[in-house]
Amino acid sequence: MKVTRRDWLVWGAGATAGVVLSPVPWKLLGDTSIWTQNWPWIPQPARGPLEVKASACTLCPNGCGLRVRMAGGWPVGLAGLRSHPVSQGALCPLGFGAHQLIWHPARLRAVRHRGGASSWDEARAAFVKACSEGPVGIVDGFPGRAASSVFESFAQKRNGAYRAVLGPESQALTPYEAWTRVPARNLGFDLENARTIVSFGAPLLDGWGTPGRFSHLWAERAAGQSDPQLRLIHVETSLSTTGSRAWRRIVIRPGSEAALASGIARVLIEDKLVPARGPMPLLTLSQAAEQSGISADAIRELAHTMVASQPVIAIANDDNPAIAALNVILGAVGSRGGIVQRSKPKHSTISTADLRDMRAVLIDSSMPWEFVPETRAEVFRFAAWDGGPTRADWLLPTPALLEDLTDMPTAPASAIETYAIAAPLVAPPTGTLSAAQFLAEIDPAAAPVEKIIRARCDELLRGRAGTVHAQESTPVTNIATAEKLEEQLRNGGVWVGEPPRAAALRCDLKEWPAERPSKPSARSSAWAAPVLPPLATKLYEESNLLQPVPRRNS
Amino acid sequence: MSARYGMVIDLDRCTGCGSCMVACASENNVPSLPQASDRTGLTPMLVRRISNGKQDESRREAFVPILCMQCEHETPCVSVCPQQAVEVDKATGIVMQMPQRCLGCRYCMTACPYHARYFNWWDPAWPAGMEKSLSPGVAVRMRGVVEKCNLCHGRLHSAQEKAAGAGKREIDPADYVPACVEACPTGAIRFGNLADDNDPVSQETHSPEAFRLLARIGTEPKVFYKSKEPWVRALADGSGAEVKRG
Repeated sequence: MKVTRRDWLVWGAGATAGVVLSPVPWKLLGDTSIWTQNWPWIPQPARGPLEVKASACTLCPNGCGLRVRMAGGWPVGLAGLRSHPVSQGALCPLGFGAHQLIWHPARLRAVRHRGGASSWDEARAAFVKACSEGPVGIVDGFPGRAASSVFESFAQKRNGAYRAVLGPESQALTPYEAWTRVPARNLGFDLENARTIVSFGAPLLDGWGTPGRFSHLWAERAAGQSDPQLRLIHVETSLSTTGSRAWRRIVIRPGSEAALASGIARVLIEDKLVPARGPMPLLTLSQAAEQSGISADAIRELAHTMVASQPVIAIANDDNPAIAALNVILGAVGSRGGIVQRSKPKHSTISTADLRDMRAVLIDSSMPWEFVPETRAEVFRFAAWDGGPTRADWLLPTPALLEDLTDMPTAPASAIETYAIAAPLVAPPTGTLSAAQFLAEIDPAAAPVEKIIRARCDELLRGRAGTVHAQESTPVTNIATAEKLEEQLRNGGVWVGEPPRAAALRCDLKEWPAERPSKPSARSSAWAAPVLPPLATKLYEESNLLQPVPRRNS
Repeated sequence: MSARYGMVIDLDRCTGCGSCMVACASENNVPSLPQASDRTGLTPMLVRRISNGKQDESRREAFVPILCMQCEHETPCVSVCPQQAVEVDKATGIVMQMPQRCLGCRYCMTACPYHARYFNWWDPAWPAGMEKSLSPGVAVRMRGVVEKCNLCHGRLHSAQEKAAGAGKREIDPADYVPACVEACPTGAIRFGNLADDNDPVSQETHSPEAFRLLARIGTEPKVFYKSKEPWVRALADGSGAEVKRG
C-alpha cells in the first residue's frame, strides 16, 4: 500500500485530534504542575504516628493547660486543654506557635562566655570559684516550683540570696502583705465572684493573668451587654484593647492612678457608701480631681457606680498602695469577690538582698531576657534562646518548652490553689542543662527536681484535700499512692485545692499609705520570653493588630 | 445529606487577641517569612481593628476577623478563575482552592470583595529543623499560587476518615472544628452546619443582630457576624458614612 502525502496529513490530524480529545494532555499538565510544586526544597509536613498528649505551658508562670499534637515524636500543634480549671482551654496567641520555639534560629545550643565559645566545665569551674569567693544571688522568675526549692536551698547553704521577681499580677498583691501578714504569693483575686471590676491600667483582656480565665468571665457575663452581670470599668491614660472593650472607660492623666483612688475612697467614706473600714485619704476630692484630670463630679459618680453592683474589686497594674487601700475601704480584702487567701503561707527565704553585694548572680531561664540585674557581679544567665545584647558574662543553654521536667504551682492571680507537672515530651538538645541540674551537679547533696516533685505529690496525697482535674475529676482521697498522683499530673492532670475561705483573711490598715511613684514590675504582663515564635509575625508584622515589640528577635 | 458549613462571629466578644490568626497559620502550615509585610504576608485569618472614628472618651473600637466568606451565590473567585482552581464543594459548601491548578494570575484576588485571598510571593521556608513542627495532613503551598481559608479542610478529612473507620457516612460534628474556632478564648467564633435548622449556629444566623459583610452585593457569604453596636453593623455593610477605619 502506497502511503501518500494525503495519508500523512489525515493520520497527523487524526492523531492530534485524538490526543487533544483524550485525557493525556490534561493529565500531563496536572502532573507537571504537581511536580513543579513538589520541589525537593519545599518542606514536607511531618510523618509518623500521631498522638495527642496533655501538658502545661512553661513559658510564663500562668502554666496554661496544653494539648500537644505529636507526629513522629515531634510536637506539631498546640491547643488549650479544656479540662484545665484555670485556663479553660485558652492559650495566649503566642502559645499557639510555641512548639516552633524548639527550632528557633536563636536557640542557644552551646555555652558562651562574654561572646566567645566556652564549655560547661569552664562555666562550672567559674561558678564554683565565685561561690568560694563570696555570696551568690539566684534570681527566679517563677517562684514556687521544685527548681525554686533547689535555688533557695543552694543560696541558703552558700550564705547567698534567693530572689523571686514577681509579675505585675503578683506585685499588685504585695501592699496587702504588711496589712494582712500573708505573703502575696498566697493571695489571689476572686474575679469569678465579683460583680464590678475597676482596673487601674491592668490589661485584663490583653495579657493579664491566665489568658482564658478573665476572657471567659468577660465573654459570658459582660460582652455586648448594656447592663452586664460583670461590670468592667477600665481606668487608663491612652486607649487600650481592654479599654475599648470595657463597660466604661475612664481616661486620666498619666501617673494619677493613686490620686483617683484617693478621690474615690474619700467619696465612699464621706457619702457613707461603705461602712467605715479604714483611714480617710490625705488628698481632698478637689486635689484628686485636679491631679487626675477628671472632675470631682465624675469621681463622685464613679464611686457611686462602683458600689452599685457589688462585690467590687480594684486591680492595679503595679504595687500601687493607694489602689490596695481603696480595696480595703471597699471591703474587698478578705471577702467574696475580692482579695482572698488561696493557700497557707509556707516558710520561705525569699530575700530582697541587694544583688550588688554578690560575688556572682545566677539568673534562671524563667526570667525575661529584658531583666538586667543591678550588679557588678559575675552574671550566669540560663536561657533557651539568645535574645540579643545582654549584660551576662555567661550564657548557659537550657532545655526549652516541652523539653524539661518542671512543675507549675498556682498561677499568680488565681484565687484557687493548683499544681501541675509539665513532663518532657521531647528530648532536649545535647549540651543543655537547666539551672537546677547545674546546681545539683555542683552540690550533689541537693535534692533533684524529680525527688522534690515526688515529695510534693506525697504531701498533696497526705493532705487528703482537693481534686485532680483531667478528663474526669478524681478526689485526691480516691488516689491510692503518690506515684499514681504524680502519673496523673504528668499526663496533664491538674490538682485543684479547696475553694478559698474569704473570711479567713484579716486586714489592718491604720493610715492611708503615703503617695510614692509606682514601681513597674521587672516582668511585664506581655509575653516575656526572649524570642517570639516565627508565627508571631502574623500579629506584629503581617497585620496591624499589635505594635511591634522592640528588643525581641533582634 | 449535603452540609453548608459556616460561621457566626460575635464581634462584641472579640478582644482582638489574635489567637485565631496564629492557630490558623500553625494548623495550615502557613509560612512566616521575614520579608513578608502586612501587604505581602499570608494571613488566611486576619483580625482587623475598626473604630467609630471618635477621638475622645467616646471612641470605641472593635475587632473584625476576616477570612474567606465562603460565598454561596455567584462566588466571585469561582467565576473568574481561568484554571477551574476554585470551586464550591457541593457536599460541604466550602469554597475550595486547588493550588495544583492555580497558575497565579490573581484574578480571584481582584474579584474577592473581602480581600480574603493571599498570594505566595516566595517559596515557603522555615528555619532549619522547624519543618518537623509542620502540621501533618496539610500540604505546603508553593510560590506563585493563591491561597485562602478553606475552613481547615484537613480537619474535615480527618473527621471523614474517622467516621469511615467507624462505618458511618456522616461525621461527628465534634470532630470537625476549625483551628480558629478552637483557639478563640472568648467563644466569639462559632462554627456549624447552616443547612441544619437545629444547629445552634444556623439558628444564630437568624438573630436580628446577625449580618453579613457587604450583604448588598448578594454573594451570600456563609460567614455571618453579630454585634449589638449599630456603628459596627453600618461599617460592615459599607455604608458607615460616619465611621472610619481605625
